[in-house]
Amino acid sequence: MIENSLLAALPGAAYRRLLAGFEPVDLSFGEILYEPGQTISHVYFPGSSLVSLLTLADGHLALEVGLIGRDGMTGVPLVLGFKESAVRALVQGAGTASRMEAGVFMREFRRSPRLQRELYRYIHTLMAQISQTAACNRFHVVEQRLARWLLMTHDRVKADRFRMTHEFLGHMLGVRRVGVTKAAQALQQRKLISYSRGDITVLDRAGLEAATCPCYGIVKDMHDT
Amino acid sequence: MPSPPTPKHNHLLGALPAADYARLLPELEPVQMVLGQAIYESGGPQEYVYFPTTCIVSLLYVMQDGSSAEIAVVGNEGVVGVALFMGGGTTPSRAVVQSAGQAFRLDGVHLKDAFERGGPLQSLLLRYTQSLITQMAQTAVCNRHHTVEQQLCRWLLLSLDRLPTNELTMTQALIANMLGVRREGVTEAAGKLQSAGMINYSRGKITVLDRPKLERRACECYAVVKRESDRLFARNEAPVGALA
Repeated sequence: MIENSLLAALPGAAYRRLLAGFEPVDLSFGEILYEPGQTISHVYFPGSSLVSLLTLADGHLALEVGLIGRDGMTGVPLVLGFKESAVRALVQGAGTASRMEAGVFMREFRRSPRLQRELYRYIHTLMAQISQTAACNRFHVVEQRLARWLLMTHDRVKADRFRMTHEFLGHMLGVRRVGVTKAAQALQQRKLISYSRGDITVLDRAGLEAATCPCYGIVKDMHDT
Repeated sequence: MPSPPTPKHNHLLGALPAADYARLLPELEPVQMVLGQAIYESGGPQEYVYFPTTCIVSLLYVMQDGSSAEIAVVGNEGVVGVALFMGGGTTPSRAVVQSAGQAFRLDGVHLKDAFERGGPLQSLLLRYTQSLITQMAQTAVCNRHHTVEQQLCRWLLLSLDRLPTNELTMTQALIANMLGVRREGVTEAAGKLQSAGMINYSRGKITVLDRPKLERRACECYAVVKRESDRLFARNEAPVGALA
């Protein structure tokens, strides 16, 4: 059973062909699928897992530029003609995924025009997400961005509670830990989330939607249409 | 007077094998790109793709309140209008001519035909898309972590790489718009680069005087983006995703 909507959108025959090559895997929190410059060995289509794409600066400063869940795939450079990843792909939400060895996947990709179209379209959506994230980072305050990030995670995980440390959130949002702490406290005081020992529970989704920047809705619309 | 640019001045078109180039040539139409001209509006229709030869186009993300930030620059190494062949329809960004010059445009119908035929053009366009993704992601992280001065250096270097001269026609207001910072921030950063002898700035013209110094002052983001566009045309890398 494949829970990924990108794959589920394929017509029956193409889907069944492809299905045979997949291997179900459980991804664990913090697992790194690729580092920048590393050869992509497998493509992953997340089911209940979530994968963050992080760009690094100066070797240690990170920023999340894209978020991949059941609506996407990792290994985009392969589809565009490169063997290596340009970013770090980090499992941000533990869960299921279907993976396929890169070479096998590319053979399937080359013979299915339908799969090509689907993936090109998806990549375009991902680009919109990246550019939007770039602008959001520039203009919006940490609290808005944290709310956005929680909503995006909530949409993909489909659970109200998830694990997340401050350090990790700092990498995602490109801010220091104290910045994360302040923003999380503000959201907690407004009773939108509860946060303790790395467990985040979404209490008031509508409230979070009101607290975030318009960027959340924009990216959501891109994925939904 | 220098001879007018040919489509081959665009590196993507220039990298095409003779037969593919010849097939495309009758459909390519030269256009003059005027400073400040918007080629696409955010969410608007896109009829053509543009292959810059001597101009530079800036892709700006426009927020709902009207403020904008540059997410990528495209010059003679690339193409404007990726959405047309990726099948995404519109994009949330605005494409504005940042440095006047020439481009060749190709209408969307021809482009799609050529793209779907596969082969070298498709492979080049896809590889370019990857380098554009890297540029966008690097711009995002640069905006987050680096100073305005470092960003200005990166921006000047990326622009220079796409121009035939070492001179840029540019107002501070425009740069502020590109970098998504306030004008005073740009004035201050440009002032520092000028007193360090790296650039000369006067009456809307920026002349780069000491490029190596500028490179040393820039953050690593410039090198990352440059490496990626160089890799695009590297012969030794087999395009695994290219479709036969």
